[in-house]
Amino acid sequence: MLEPFKEYLQKKVAITDEQFDLISHKLKVKTFSKNEMILMKGDFSTQGFFVLSGLLRSYSIDAKGKTHIIQFAPEQWWLSERNGHFNEPSDFFIDAIESTQAILMPKDFINEAAEIVPCMNPLNSTMLNNAIRFMQKRINMLLSATAEERYLDFIKLYPNLTLRVPQWMIASYLGITPESLSRVRKDLAHKHFHP
Amino acid sequence: MKTTTKPVAAVLKAPAPHMVGDGFRVHNFFPGGYKINMSPFYLLDYNAKIDFSARNEPRGVGVHPHRGFETVTIAYHGAVAHHDSAGNSGVIYPGDVQWMTAASGILHKEYHEEAYSKSGGPFQMVQLWVNLPSQYKMTKPKYQALKHDEINRVEIPDHGGQIEVIAGNYQGVKGSASTFTPIHVYNARLHAGAKASFNFPATYNTGFVVIEGKIRINQTETALTNQFIHFSSEGEEIEIEALESSVVLILSGEPIDEPITAYGPFLMNTPEEIQQAISDYNQGKFGFLED
Repeated sequence: MLEPFKEYLQKKVAITDEQFDLISHKLKVKTFSKNEMILMKGDFSTQGFFVLSGLLRSYSIDAKGKTHIIQFAPEQWWLSERNGHFNEPSDFFIDAIESTQAILMPKDFINEAAEIVPCMNPLNSTMLNNAIRFMQKRINMLLSATAEERYLDFIKLYPNLTLRVPQWMIASYLGITPESLSRVRKDLAHKHFHP
Repeated sequence: MKTTTKPVAAVLKAPAPHMVGDGFRVHNFFPGGYKINMSPFYLLDYNAKIDFSARNEPRGVGVHPHRGFETVTIAYHGAVAHHDSAGNSGVIYPGDVQWMTAASGILHKEYHEEAYSKSGGPFQMVQLWVNLPSQYKMTKPKYQALKHDEINRVEIPDHGGQIEVIAGNYQGVKGSASTFTPIHVYNARLHAGAKASFNFPATYNTGFVVIEGKIRINQTETALTNQFIHFSSEGEEIEIEALESSVVLILSGEPIDEPITAYGPFLMNTPEEIQQAISDYNQGKFGFLED
């Protein structure tokens, strides 16, 4: 079950099979059914997720009941609620959009793993830097990009999600209305559809 | 050359159903349910007869793309309305067949037809995905809308019923739909006691769906409503006898001997072509259709 995760790690760091065996006993694989709620707002999150198959999302719900999607996590993506690292309750919900198999990672996993396998340390900071870079870009897009720019960036990042999630979820992630998304796609079709 | 009986490989019961959108409750006989080779038929979704309650807002499945194959929708009960990105629309009523060649790409949506949705009642459909060989995968999309009373047919002697020849040919009568590779698709509507025989090349992949009734096959096996009969790739002759008034969907086709890469609504030869299909879809190259 952990094999795909081992392959993922071995592409990024020089970790041997034996070292992986030493650190992996704390990992659990869990299957979530479609629409299963995994973390509620106000819960204390104790673990992160690495998606093996399926699709998770994190989101918030505002005072008017509107959903705002923070992140999608398809195959080979990580999803973590970070308040848990500071012993604070979660601001977000996490649920499974599709039937999903994910590795559950205790929040101290990487630190503990790094004690046994030191090369996990630079991997950890690279991944954190990458996550921050990703979020900076996302903030910038939400502040300054047009709806079309946001959509074009989205299909580069998540090419197959347009086939896996309803339009309103994509619109929610992009911070635009479903009508705007529909208009963007209509404009693109005008430019690119040559029957 | 002497012909021999094409033996039954298995009589398969309908796998557990799942919903496609909220309008189709389908049993996927293949490729999900059973790992059987039915090429050129890639997928068979069977909505066994169920009652939908009356509803003003029609149930169905929203806008989605297809590329690289044909969808064939055969209606038995209820009615389905469809719209596509090329501006086509229509309604598939019981007995009708819609043969849609998605080929290079189309967006469409399928909903319960308005009047049917408002009244509710029995609903029963088949949707087949028929693969296209590589040289036709990127050809222009097209439709063949076959109305029930216009489908070519062969009368079974002694008022035994009819064979509606949707595609291919039966006893010299040509099918109403044109196909890209050799395929036979018929609806056999048999009265109790009637017999019909079929002759397909040994190498063709062949399967029957019992839509209604109970039949005996080759004088040995029995199959009931909602069962799928998969035949061996040997022998040519099949005989069925209706043990009660029955409707049987007959499928037989020459296998397409090409690699298949399938992802969601796309059926191509290579992973690169799938990536291209996803990218083309995202960029609007399939056109646009309002949800």
